[in-house]
Amino acid sequence: MQNRSILIVADHAQDKVKPAGYEAIACALQLGSFHQLRVLAVVIGDQPELPAQEIAQKAGLDVIAAQTPGLAAYNGELYRAVLSNLLDELDPAYVCAAHSSQGADFAPGLAARRGAACITALERVSFDADRVIFSRGASGGKLVAELISTARLTVITVQPGAFRSEFDNSSTPGSIEVRTVQFQPKRSRSLGFKPGPAGDKGLSEARVIVAAGRGIGKLENLSLIRDLAAAFPRSAVGGSRPVCDMGWLEYKSQIGLTGATVSPELYIACGISGTAQHVAGIRDAGFVVAINSDPNAAIFNAADLCIVEDLTTFIPTLLAALHKQP
Amino acid sequence: MKLLVCVKPVVDLETMPGPHYLRSGSSGNGTTRYRINNFDEFALEEGLRIKEACPGTTLDVITVAPQNAGSVLTRALGMGADHAIHVLLELEGYVSPSVVAHLITQRAKEAGYNLILAGVMAEDDMHAQVGPMIAELLSVPVATAVVHQAVLDEGRAVYVEREIEGGEREALELVLPAVLTVQTGINRPRYPSLSKYLRAKKQQPETIHAAAQRAIDPPETLLRVTEPQKLRTGLILEGTPEEKATRLLGILREKALIPEERHAEP
Repeated sequence: MQNRSILIVADHAQDKVKPAGYEAIACALQLGSFHQLRVLAVVIGDQPELPAQEIAQKAGLDVIAAQTPGLAAYNGELYRAVLSNLLDELDPAYVCAAHSSQGADFAPGLAARRGAACITALERVSFDADRVIFSRGASGGKLVAELISTARLTVITVQPGAFRSEFDNSSTPGSIEVRTVQFQPKRSRSLGFKPGPAGDKGLSEARVIVAAGRGIGKLENLSLIRDLAAAFPRSAVGGSRPVCDMGWLEYKSQIGLTGATVSPELYIACGISGTAQHVAGIRDAGFVVAINSDPNAAIFNAADLCIVEDLTTFIPTLLAALHKQP
Repeated sequence: MKLLVCVKPVVDLETMPGPHYLRSGSSGNGTTRYRINNFDEFALEEGLRIKEACPGTTLDVITVAPQNAGSVLTRALGMGADHAIHVLLELEGYVSPSVVAHLITQRAKEAGYNLILAGVMAEDDMHAQVGPMIAELLSVPVATAVVHQAVLDEGRAVYVEREIEGGEREALELVLPAVLTVQTGINRPRYPSLSKYLRAKKQQPETIHAAAQRAIDPPETLLRVTEPQKLRTGLILEGTPEEKATRLLGILREKALIPEERHAEP
């Protein structure tokens, strides 16, 4: 381990480092502290200087700004090629990236190319008996799998929301090395972005969100969710991914990393299993109530108040109690 | 075109609670019930739609699984796959995605598939690694979390849209052969047809013994499976449903999350 390093691949967009990129840095710094490993970052893009400066200033890391002319957006083929060359040169012990649409796309292939271990959607690192233990969610967040790496290189993607990125700006700014890398993807062509369904403004402005998960059972039960929402002023109805996949709600109502990130004062999760991808979308909610008939549902680990009941009978009971009260 | 769809058997936690599936090295005693990983059903359905749209296309389905998980192949044949390949594992339990990717790649190399599809992840491990690893080992391009695809130029390329943060989509074109990992919601997977399913039950899949393949050492090992930590206080309400409802309303009222003057509203 000695004298080896950790290489961070920073997620960035529109000249800024994404929050998930800083969380990957926070994870790497913790990992580095176990073995006193040096942490450095790489920013890949056609204009990497601004994100590189931001990291050097804020986190005090040395940064390689890999300028790839013509790369307007992310391209997996290019990322893997650029990173693989960098690994030849740096021989780090770990590569860390966010478990984002980019990191989750390039990391497994990069690991396969290098014969490395690959740990995706990492939620916690710990150090025990001279071993680094990687903890990550399994079975929709119901379980945690603890893995150890036996390879020389370990490629990690860090679950957004799992690590706190707080930098006090007190560290000495890191250095920036700009290098130009010429690489044209040969077998893939990026064609730009398409906007998703317009976000539900109701969700971002709501004081109370009542959300439906697969556990509502059938489309007809959505009316219970709407009835419950209607009991609160400034409320909105949202849903988890499966409910949108089944077409019960539009995708603009989807809450989670690939949907809307919400911060209501009260969030009532009805029949939602509670995957990490959903939970990350409600991290900033004030008070979370979960109603689920499965006592082992992962959502109960992310709730302030847990109600193990069948929502089809419990919501009518709740509404009756609400209307009866003075 | 020649298509390959990778399917993983998962233990149904609703019928078999507990971390059973992750226990390494438990011998397959034949009692574990498996079903197709939900994400892979979407991949299979997408493959079947390509097969139906492009005449002359064949669709193979492959699984790396212990003996008693072979039933997932019967279901895949019942849905419309032409040929099933079972890479047979001797033990049940955790298998490194790197090992699975190497085993599938060895078989896929011989066949020269134009397009390989897999679910974006497995429901149990949630690694999301096997698909992109196969692409790398075959030196072909990959798109992950695909929510739309269209085969172009009589099978020379594929246009895909992949899901990125905030519901946005990234569009790209891949030269075939390629690997796509498919996100849920891209389609509605069909049910197996009875006649195909009954025929499939009599069929023996092509069987490859994993132990006889050139193997790699798994680069990571599963140490243990634990319960998740709580992110919030998680007070569990006890009592009858009515008591729970009253308690919940009391707590919400204390926190001023319920309007006081409900009945003042018209």
